[in-house]
Amino acid sequence: MGLLLITRFTIQEAFHRWLLFAMLLLNILLLGVFALLLNAAYTSVVANSARQVDPQLDLLRFSMAISILSVWAVYLLSGALTIVLTVGMTSGEIEAGTFAMIVSKPLRRMEIIIGKWLGYGVILSIYTAMLFFTFLGLIYWRTGYWPEQALPALGMIELSMLVLLALTTLGSAWFPTLVNGAIAIMLFIGAPLASFVQLISPTPSATTQNITTIINLIIPTDALWHGASYYLIPPYILTLAQQQGSSELFSTPFTSIQPLPPALLSWAILYCIVLPLIGTWRFQRRDL
Amino acid sequence: MQMSPPAHTPQSQPEGGSGGSVDSHVPVVEVRGLRKVYGQLIAVEDISFVTYRGEAFGFLGPNGAGKSTVVKILTGLVAPTAGAIQVLGQPLGHIETRRRIGYLPEFPTFHRWLKASDFLEFHSRLYGISGNRLAKRCREVLEMVGLSGREHQKLGTFSKGMLQRIGLAQALLNQPDLLILDELVSGLDPVGQRDMRELLLYFKSEGTSIFLNSHQLADVEAVCDRVAIINQGCILKVGTPPELFGEQPMLEVRVDAVSEKLLQQLNGIAVNIQRDKEDPNCLLIEVQQAEQAADIANIVHACGARLYTLAPRRRSLEQLFFHTIETLSQQK
Repeated sequence: MGLLLITRFTIQEAFHRWLLFAMLLLNILLLGVFALLLNAAYTSVVANSARQVDPQLDLLRFSMAISILSVWAVYLLSGALTIVLTVGMTSGEIEAGTFAMIVSKPLRRMEIIIGKWLGYGVILSIYTAMLFFTFLGLIYWRTGYWPEQALPALGMIELSMLVLLALTTLGSAWFPTLVNGAIAIMLFIGAPLASFVQLISPTPSATTQNITTIINLIIPTDALWHGASYYLIPPYILTLAQQQGSSELFSTPFTSIQPLPPALLSWAILYCIVLPLIGTWRFQRRDL
Repeated sequence: MQMSPPAHTPQSQPEGGSGGSVDSHVPVVEVRGLRKVYGQLIAVEDISFVTYRGEAFGFLGPNGAGKSTVVKILTGLVAPTAGAIQVLGQPLGHIETRRRIGYLPEFPTFHRWLKASDFLEFHSRLYGISGNRLAKRCREVLEMVGLSGREHQKLGTFSKGMLQRIGLAQALLNQPDLLILDELVSGLDPVGQRDMRELLLYFKSEGTSIFLNSHQLADVEAVCDRVAIINQGCILKVGTPPELFGEQPMLEVRVDAVSEKLLQQLNGIAVNIQRDKEDPNCLLIEVQQAEQAADIANIVHACGARLYTLAPRRRSLEQLFFHTIETLSQQK
């Protein structure tokens, strides 16, 4: 009962903050600009492809690339909003003193943390899904292209958002808001570092692989993005590229030709569960 | 804005902590050997006390004495380092017991985007109040704290005094058996302070146990049956207000010039006379009874001096502390 009250209160509070509205407004502007750019770029590609040997392949390549870049933007925007919206979910209330009248009520501290986590989880999941489908919808409207495995890709992006939410939930129960924000931003931005290093080293050494694994264990967001990108490349294109020996073309810091390993997927799910629970444990022992 | 107890109750209550019956067989708050340490800082050294059902118990002390830490421990916001504590017969942290406690923090802060009615509804639901009872109770507490008609106003537009009132309202939602108040009247104007004291006296008369933290003598004197004086994390003394604050009446007398003759005559009726260090023409005279002021005025006139001031003077909280500390040292 107390948990659902806190969840409802968290959702109400998020809608009363200007931040969420500002983000939504900016997203609408962004989508408008994207639609104009997409239209202009597609017109140009259609004009050029007429002179190519295989114009259909050219249009497919364009549609696939723009889909991947759009979903990458969704991944970044969703991650940024997750950090900004939730970085003070517990610490902010402690610093403001608003918890004094709530924590003294007949509810467990665990209900407060899990209730808040659930509230933000619902808001951010809906936001991410809306943005994802709007971007892909615009691409479909202009090019007629729709990624075959869009839903698994969305699942990866949602999981990446939940990973960040788990991180900020833990950090917010442990550290002041500013420190938590700095940690979350550093990890989110620093996560792709291993991917960049792997790109510039033609044959990654065991050390590079180990460091990548450690980074992915600390913050699996980049690995999840790569998992999402795999689902955005049509399977027949990958098969064709592998047959022609050109599959490395799709192996970039932004894309992957391998699905997310099941062990890493399991770790990411565990991460989303365990970190908020540690945050709850910490909050239960914290003086307010 | 005026706070008002429910209509069926008397508006005025006798002062001095009376108005309710204390059941000294039923402890409400039992604290034994409480200690709280924050790193190197000892906030509470060693505190033990018991309050009883229907009693208004005051914690009086200067800022930083450890009063708020004790309150935060009682309300589950802070964990004690050591000690045994029971509230309403249950150990700390008992969820169902919290349903019977109302708490107003020292500096209540609010989600300012909430309307007053939404705020009270949220806190009612946290107490487990729902349905028709919820709306009825919200209306009642708003009326009690003098905020009727402000239901749809956002808390962000409330004045400091109004916020204090709505903070008290949320503490009353559950008709608490124990009301814990940390610095009752901060942010209130004199009328608000009086209204708040009257409201507390009403709840006391209804049998509500009250734990009041304050650094205002007037608050605890007006409301509390017993008072503990706390300083530097220790209780210095516990007693009824007359036991603690009852002292020889003191009169401040200021004249145009203090002659030897005047001093001799005053010495005849005074318990003690001190000369103000800053004003040589001002005397602080301890007397047996306040009514002796008339005799003092007569003596001043008889000695040919001009009387500028003749007023009762009470010890300030600071003086009371020093007096208590000095008395305790002498006893040791």
